[in-house]
Amino acid sequence: MTSLVEKILNGDEKSAARLISKVEEENSGAYTALSRLLPHTGKANVLGITGPPGAGKSTLAGRLAVAFADSGRNVGVIATDPTSIHTRGAFLGDRLRMKNAEKKKIFIRSMAHRGYPGGLAKAAAGAMYVLEGLGKDVIIFESVGAGQSEKGLFLLCDTIITVFTGDYGDEIQLLKAGLTEIGDILVVNKADKPGAEEAKKDLEAFSSRVNTPGDWHVPVLLTRADSGEGIEVLTDAIKRHWRFVAESGKKEQKKKEKLGLLFIALLKEEFWQRTQKRLKKNRLFKDVLSDVRSGKTDPYSAMQKVLDSLGTTNI
Amino acid sequence: MKAKAIKVLIAKPGLDGHDRGAKVVAHALMEAGMEVIYTGLHKTVDDIIRIALQEDVDVVGLSIMSGAHVPIARKYMQKARDAGIDDKMVVIGGVIPAKDIPQLKKIGISGVFPGGTPFLDIVRFIRDNLTHA
Ligand SMILES: Nc1nc2c(ncn2[C@@H]2O[C@H](COP(=O)(O)OP(=O)(O)OP(=O)(O)O)[C@@H](O)[C@H]2O)c(=O)[nH]1
Ligand SMILES: [Mg+2]
Repeated sequence: MTSLVEKILNGDEKSAARLISKVEEENSGAYTALSRLLPHTGKANVLGITGPPGAGKSTLAGRLAVAFADSGRNVGVIATDPTSIHTRGAFLGDRLRMKNAEKKKIFIRSMAHRGYPGGLAKAAAGAMYVLEGLGKDVIIFESVGAGQSEKGLFLLCDTIITVFTGDYGDEIQLLKAGLTEIGDILVVNKADKPGAEEAKKDLEAFSSRVNTPGDWHVPVLLTRADSGEGIEVLTDAIKRHWRFVAESGKKEQKKKEKLGLLFIALLKEEFWQRTQKRLKKNRLFKDVLSDVRSGKTDPYSAMQKVLDSLGTTNI
Repeated sequence: MKAKAIKVLIAKPGLDGHDRGAKVVAHALMEAGMEVIYTGLHKTVDDIIRIALQEDVDVVGLSIMSGAHVPIARKYMQKARDAGIDDKMVVIGGVIPAKDIPQLKKIGISGVFPGGTPFLDIVRFIRDNLTHA
């Protein structure tokens, strides 16, 4: 995997694409490659786009990618679509909306979410590092679009854009979804549709958090991602936010936090994988499981029993 | 290490503007548990090569209704070799006369599925013929 890392650092897209696949497969060699890429990362501006299904996230991501590419930046996009819980299949339809991006030097990778908590695929962090190694200095994530609990986005992005449309519902819906809490920039897309102006007013009312002076003021912007209207104002706001996080020291602080959280997430996953393997061979576990299924034992006592038998050492 | 999900690109090269069949096949593959990307209409062979490369798909499915399947297949295989992604399985669907199938196979197309081929046959073909590293 050594030559793969070198090829990526030399800008070879095919090697980058292959390594991302290996990260998705949880290949242990891929993790070694990532740790070799990490020293070359951390400088890119990372943008996250979230919002309800169909709001225009992909169309907007495509517009932004092209706008940044046109201004001389080297852009990568990682777009997440849901995995069917029934079939495990996925229709990765984001890329299709990113018109014109194909012609530029933009690297787009579609990822099935595969049910990982936090709005992005499990391989998202690794894919980001691969793209940074490839030389990308702007990375755009499109989340799966669940809205709530977008922890993955928080973890990886400097700036989060939440996309709404005029028909999101009423204020109660807005409060319930908690969507206004997570955007550094709020966008009301489909400005051509009725209700957009009204939505902008609602969002402005809800997003004006009690700010201390010097804090970031969350702007609410109207766009038409399909025609490109409002994109310039949006890119200006994004650049302003990048300056803000850099100058306020938030980027440095977050970078450290990011690595810590990533470490814990990786560890958690690995612990579970290994425990699962051990459990599969564990006689007691099998017996207890069948006892739970047949109603002889309840799940709570069963858990206690298995934990006791595993012990806490030697995981 | 996790079993890899099968990733498929359904592509519409050239000028024909009918993609109903392509979308329906994409849906069927998704139902069969695959991860499917659809390019949208009017892609050049260069676009398709670039998408296949970046997405690192296992299978590229070309949907062609225009009658130009032989030249498009030839062009695709040439450019796939140039890009170093000729290890990916390539299949073709659409309006394909039976008499052209041997020629397509010779060019390097693994599977040819003329309109009306049962989806299950396509799914089975992909599953059976993929050699995952
Ligand atoms: N009228 C109008 N339509 C738009 C606008 N922006 C995007 N659309 C259309 O809205 C539809 C959905 O756009 P996407 O970009 O796929 O939305 P998305 O949020 O990425 O959707 P998911 O990823 O499926 O959640 C497409 O048909 C777009 O062409 C806009 O400003 N106005
Ligand atoms: Mg989308």
